[in-house]
Amino acid sequence: MKTIDLTLKIWRQKNNDALGGFETYLLRDISTDMSFLEMLDVLNEQLTAEGKIPVAFDHDCREGICGSCGAMVNGIAHGPVKLNNLCQLHMRAFNSGDTLVIEPFRSRAFPIRKDLMVDRSALDRIIQAGGYVSVNTGGGVDGNAIPISSETAELAMDSAACVGCGACVASCPNDAAMLFTGAKITQLGLLPQGQPERKERARAMVTQMDKEGFGFCSNERECQAQCPKGISIRSIARMNRDFFRGSLFGE
Amino acid sequence: MWFFNFCKSSIGRKFFMALSGLLLLAFLAVHAFGNAAIYAGSKYFQFYADFLHNFPVLVLLASVGLGSVLVLHIVLGLSLFLEKRQRTGRYEVYARLTENTFASRTMGYTGLFILLFLIIHVTTFVFAPGSDTPISVVVMERFSSFFFSLFYLVSFIALGVHLNHGFFSMMQTFGFNHPRYDKTISVLTVAVPVAFLVIFGGIPLYFMSGAGASFMHH
Ligand code: HEM
Ligand code: FES
Repeated sequence: MKTIDLTLKIWRQKNNDALGGFETYLLRDISTDMSFLEMLDVLNEQLTAEGKIPVAFDHDCREGICGSCGAMVNGIAHGPVKLNNLCQLHMRAFNSGDTLVIEPFRSRAFPIRKDLMVDRSALDRIIQAGGYVSVNTGGGVDGNAIPISSETAELAMDSAACVGCGACVASCPNDAAMLFTGAKITQLGLLPQGQPERKERARAMVTQMDKEGFGFCSNERECQAQCPKGISIRSIARMNRDFFRGSLFGE
Repeated sequence: MWFFNFCKSSIGRKFFMALSGLLLLAFLAVHAFGNAAIYAGSKYFQFYADFLHNFPVLVLLASVGLGSVLVLHIVLGLSLFLEKRQRTGRYEVYARLTENTFASRTMGYTGLFILLFLIIHVTTFVFAPGSDTPISVVVMERFSSFFFSLFYLVSFIALGVHLNHGFFSMMQTFGFNHPRYDKTISVLTVAVPVAFLVIFGGIPLYFMSGAGASFMHH
């Protein structure tokens, strides 16, 4: 079993109001088969044994589908491996002697709860503003009652792959949530069920996005480069089109 | 009110950024076409300039319109640029994975350089010369200075860099991003800045290289 030694510089902060700062930790004999979060677990056991407070970080599924985990590793959201959530990053991506700077996903709209844990409920509120289809009455519709071409279904699925981790916001130089919002708008906008509320959806979700304090977009494309699910900025272009239509012709 | 809300929104501001950029581009295209008369010789260029001045009201309207568009573009552009600078510095370590970010990162600086150029350009060729000196003579005199020509050349390079990101950004903001247009847009993102660089940048080069010595003879 191959093992490596690492120096970790981790952002520690008690809560959103407290002043934070970096702490440096040395870790020895880390198996390269470990995931990044398992490596943090090892660190936390070490800290607990020393009577210190463990590093707080979000996680749930640990298989890259829930969107809970995430941190900046050496300035890149979810670390150096592309198309990867932090829980699916493995220590074989690093070399012995590396120093890893680990920071929370920072945004004006993401208050820090503790250490690497940030409050991303701003993204939930964008969904609540319009990222849904209303089905108010009637029984369940047959799965194949509305024909959808497989190309369309695939494209919608590409956008639905967004797990809402916030990496786009964290990596954007402008701190914008355009890729997230664009993905949610595209996912519904491509499907027949999403049509009735399409114009109003874009207007409501963009308005909420601005209200939360996210930045604007200057088409830097960094979100697309760092998104663990490979969401394309085409979804931002679609959001813009829907937003223009919503603003000009919406109810 | 819907229009007011649109203007306030993040995407609305970007829309006006792109729209003002498009109008400036349209002006540049007309201007480049007119200036190309310089390559034909002073007679043709003077004819073009005199022709324009036959329509003083049109010229005034165009100038006021262009000025307003420019002010809108600068005010919006700088406010976006300053906000970006505030937000980018939020990490101890921050890395970019996108390739070729030089143009996008320097939009504010190339923009300000173009503004400096515009101020010098307009004071030199629009306000300064007395009405008794023909514009073709003023052009010849000014470009005979090496540093003046060099400054023009550098400005057009800055314009080219600005438009390299600007053109793509404008299309994306307007919502043109679809596999069907990928090829066209990626070609134009290079071709549009290069075309302006060749037509405008060629003018100082024309005089610097000595080829412009024959300018007054035609
Ligand atoms: C003839 C002159 C100019 C032309 C043709 C031009 C063209 C453009 C275009 C097409 C865009 C893209 C719009 C978009 O992102 O949707 C743009 C963006 C921009 N322009 Fe200009 N521009 C000119 C002068 C200026 C000047 C004088 C400034 C002064 C500061 C400036 C600052 C900016 C900035 C900061 C942006 C980027 C905004 C962002 O980050 O998205 N531009 N320009
Ligand atoms: S913990 Fe669920 S995506 Fe990483």
